[in-house]
Amino acid sequence: MTTAGFRGEVLRGIEWFSHDFTGQRVAVVAPGREAAQIVPEVAATARSVKVFQEEPDWVVPVRVPGGRAVSAAVARFFLRTQVKDPWIRRLLTPHARFGSRRTAVSVGYYAALRHPDCKLITWPVYAFVADGVRTAEGVEHHVDCVVLGPGSVFARDEITEGRPA
Amino acid sequence: MTDFAAMLQTIKDKQWSLADIDWDAPGAETMTDELRAKMRPFMADLVWIEHIGARGFASLARKAPTPEIQEIYRYFHAEEQKHANAELALMKRWGMLDENGAMPEPNINVRLAIKVLDDFGDTLPLTGLATLIPLLECALDGALVKFLLEEVTDPVCHQVFKHINSDESRHITVDFQVLELIGAGPRHKLLIETIGNLKPQVIIGLIVVFVPLINKMRDNIVAMGLPENKLYNAVKRFASVGSRGEHTKRIPAYHVLKAQAAMVVDRSHAYHKYLADPMVKLTSKIPRRLLGKPQSWTEEITHEPVAS
Ligand SMILES: [Fe+2]
Ligand SMILES: [Fe+2]
Repeated sequence: MTTAGFRGEVLRGIEWFSHDFTGQRVAVVAPGREAAQIVPEVAATARSVKVFQEEPDWVVPVRVPGGRAVSAAVARFFLRTQVKDPWIRRLLTPHARFGSRRTAVSVGYYAALRHPDCKLITWPVYAFVADGVRTAEGVEHHVDCVVLGPGSVFARDEITEGRPA
Repeated sequence: MTDFAAMLQTIKDKQWSLADIDWDAPGAETMTDELRAKMRPFMADLVWIEHIGARGFASLARKAPTPEIQEIYRYFHAEEQKHANAELALMKRWGMLDENGAMPEPNINVRLAIKVLDDFGDTLPLTGLATLIPLLECALDGALVKFLLEEVTDPVCHQVFKHINSDESRHITVDFQVLELIGAGPRHKLLIETIGNLKPQVIIGLIVVFVPLINKMRDNIVAMGLPENKLYNAVKRFASVGSRGEHTKRIPAYHVLKAQAAMVVDRSHAYHKYLADPMVKLTSKIPRRLLGKPQSWTEEITHEPVAS
C-alpha cells in the first residue's frame, strides 16, 4: 500500500523540515516517536494538522540520563502534566508488550496537540485516495499535503513496492 | 494453529468507508412514520452497543498475546466505531436525529457498561475480557442486526449491513480463535489469569453491568413486538461455537459466561426473576450524574463520510 492514489503533495524523509505549510491542511502519518518531531514544526505554519499516529511512543521534553525505566518514568510524568484528557493520554501511552521501546525527545509535541487545529487520530490508515486518507473508522479525511514519517508502514511499503511517480 | 497474519491481511483488504455508500439513494421513503417511531430507540441502542464493542476491543488491543492479534484488535476497535458511524448516518437518512444531528442518549445500562469498561477494561485479565466480548457480540450485535434487517426494506440499509455483517463474521471468528489460543496455554496460567487477578469489586462491577444490560435489551426488543427467542438463539450461538473448539473449554471464564448464557436463554430460570430483572429495575434508578461524564472517545461519533 502506497500513497500513489493521493493527488496532493507528499513529503518524505526530512522534506517537512523548514517547509512552509501556510494555508494547507496537513496529514502527518508516522509512528509517535517521529510525529513528536514532525508535528510541532508542521503545526507552526499549517492551517490544520491531523496526526495519524501509527503507534504510541514515550516522549520526554529533554534527553534523560539513565536507562529506559528512568526515561519512561519521566515521559509518564511529562504526559500527565501536559495532557489533561484521560482518553487522549491513553492514546499517547505506549503498549506495554509490543511497543517499539524507543523514546522521542520533543518539548512541543503535546503542546501542539492541544491546539484546536491539531487533532490526534489513532485509527489505522488503510488507503490513500485522491483527496486524502481513509481510516478504518469509516471516515475519509481530506488534506492538501501528506507528511510521511520515515518509519511509517507506508514509507516502508514504498521502498519495497516502488515510489509513486 | 490459526494464521493471524493472514486474517489481518484479509481485514485490511475488506476495509470500507462511509464514502462508499450513496446516502441519498432512493429508498429512504420506505421508512414510514410508524416504523420510524418504532425503530428510533432501537437504532440508538444499536449505535451504543457498537460503542461497547469498540471500547472492549480498545482494551483487548492492550493485552493481545501477539503483535498480529494486537493489530487485529486495533482494526476491530475502529470497525466498531465505523458501525456506530454508519448506523448514525442511517438514522440521519431516516430523519431520526434532531436538528443538531445529535445522538440520542444511551440508556443507563449502556452507560454503566461504558463506565465499567473505561474504569476497569484495561486492567481486566485477557481471558475474562476475551470471553466477555464474543458473548456480547453474539447476543447483542448479532441478534439486533437480524431484527433490523427483517423490519426495514430500505436498500441502503441492507447495503450498509452487508458490510457490517461481513466485519462481524470476522470479529466472531477471531474472538473464538483467540479463545482457542488462550485455552491451549498452560492451565495454571489460565486459572491465575481468570481468578487471581480479578478483584471482587471488579467481579461485582461486571455483574451489575452486564447482567441487566442483556435483560434490558431483551425488554426493548419485546417492547417492539419482536420475539425474544431470537435473542436467545443468538446467545446460544456463543455456547455452540465455543464448544466446537478444542481448547476453549479449558478456560474457566468461558464456563462462567456459558453458564450465564444458559440462564439468560432459559426464561423460566430463577436468574431472571431474582437477579437480572430486579437489577434492570434497580439500575434504572441510578442517577446519571453519579456516573460522571463519559470519556472523550464517545464524542468521536460522526455521520459525516468526509472530514476536512
Ligand atoms: Fe459491530
Ligand atoms: Fe463486532
